[in-house]
Amino acid sequence: MSDNGVIFKATKDGLIIIMNKELEFDEIYNEINKKLISAGNFFKGASLGVKYRGRKLSEEEIKIICELMTQKTETTISSFEEETNNLGFNTDIKEENTIKENGFIKYDMRKETYSNDIKSILHSREEEGITKFYRGTVRSGQLISYDGNIVILGDVNPGAEIQAGGNIIVMGWLRGTVHAGMYGNDKAIVASLSLQPVQLRIANIITRPPDEQKYESPSVPEIAFVKDNMIFIESFLPQK
Amino acid sequence: MGEVIVITSGKGGVGKTTTTANVGVGLAMRNKKVALVDADIGLRNLDLVLGLENRIVFDLVDVVEGRCKLRNALVKDKRFDGLYLLPAAQTRDKTAVKPEQMIKLCNDLRKEFDFVLIDCPAGIEQGFNNAVVAADRAIVVTTPEVSAVRDADRVIGLLEAKELRNPRLLINRIRNDMVRRGEMMSIEDVKDILAVDIIGIVPDDEKIVISTNRGEPVITDGKSLAGQAYNNIARRILGEDVPLLDLEGHDEGFMLKLKKFLGIKN
Repeated sequence: MSDNGVIFKATKDGLIIIMNKELEFDEIYNEINKKLISAGNFFKGASLGVKYRGRKLSEEEIKIICELMTQKTETTISSFEEETNNLGFNTDIKEENTIKENGFIKYDMRKETYSNDIKSILHSREEEGITKFYRGTVRSGQLISYDGNIVILGDVNPGAEIQAGGNIIVMGWLRGTVHAGMYGNDKAIVASLSLQPVQLRIANIITRPPDEQKYESPSVPEIAFVKDNMIFIESFLPQK
Repeated sequence: MGEVIVITSGKGGVGKTTTTANVGVGLAMRNKKVALVDADIGLRNLDLVLGLENRIVFDLVDVVEGRCKLRNALVKDKRFDGLYLLPAAQTRDKTAVKPEQMIKLCNDLRKEFDFVLIDCPAGIEQGFNNAVVAADRAIVVTTPEVSAVRDADRVIGLLEAKELRNPRLLINRIRNDMVRRGEMMSIEDVKDILAVDIIGIVPDDEKIVISTNRGEPVITDGKSLAGQAYNNIARRILGEDVPLLDLEGHDEGFMLKLKKFLGIKN
């Protein structure tokens, strides 16, 4: 976010106003006013579909901003609404499809009904960013820490630790401790060809496998992500 | 004020970690508040023996470096109330902790717990110095092998130089059949060389391997002879006068077992 708390972002459909949540409406109003003045004739005569995010606005406030915009820029505001979901996917996952096992939450993979939901989660969380690649086995006592994403081309043994600001992908066995989104990004994911961590953390949420010795995780590639402040684990292969 | 006991040996692989775990559980079973401190930074094991690996969030180094409160780093045991583990850091090494920090840490633990058991790393370098610096008492673990006894002798000398007088000796992995055949040093032989009081003897028991792999200390297995031995050691630490385990008879013939079972004394 910029220092002044309001950002204008042009899209092919119109304009997105991104507001700093912390600011009072008065300040937002002033910032938008300044922006419009500095934009000069840029918007003149256009018909704009406006979306906003970062802060809730009341009907009253919307009206005030609309008036300000038409007045300052001589544009027509065709629509003014809150931006809901970045990609328009339905990311709601039904509660009844989840099983709780000692705090270790898994989707029941026998139910095929939500394969679309899995897809939507994968896509809505895809992020770009700098990535560290590590080739080889990460052994007990080794710590790999990186601000961006981490990809391990090898196994992660018990006692090893992987910490990333973003996502963690292990192209092998994951049997150590991992912490994705370590600065608090709960959109971060952990994926592995065999996900059997001693402990798995995403942002500030920590899970561990159940204590029963008999527990065996399925031998399919799995992905862990956060939803409703809980870590969920499921297969990321297409449902057959 | 609690008591800080260090469990050390000099030589590796003689059973320090197993002893720490089992004696700790033994004391906790007797309603004592016990903290187990893994001082083996970089090669932590005590959490595995206790089956608590997956509960670790912070560790000893986090505490001494002020990244978390001591209370937050203590892992509560899943079976026994009053038993807590302060795990070692795995991604650091022995130089991460200084003796002064260890003294402060132990003094903090002393206020909260009846017993603080420190699992000392093998060797006599900085890890050893950190582990023994705050201890009030020491238990030296050895096995009836010349190499282990030699290292125990060295460690007892170092402990005495550090004013930790009268350490107690734990002889681990005794095999009575071998002793009888003259193939293994007997308790007396070890005692003669080291000349310190014995706190307990623990027979060689394959259940130790099983219990270690499962993360369940063997002391919880009432049928195991090693478990009984550790129970006795816990009682002796609490000041009870318990005779040493009678290893004779446990590998004697069927008739002797039967006689014992029927209560017939020879």
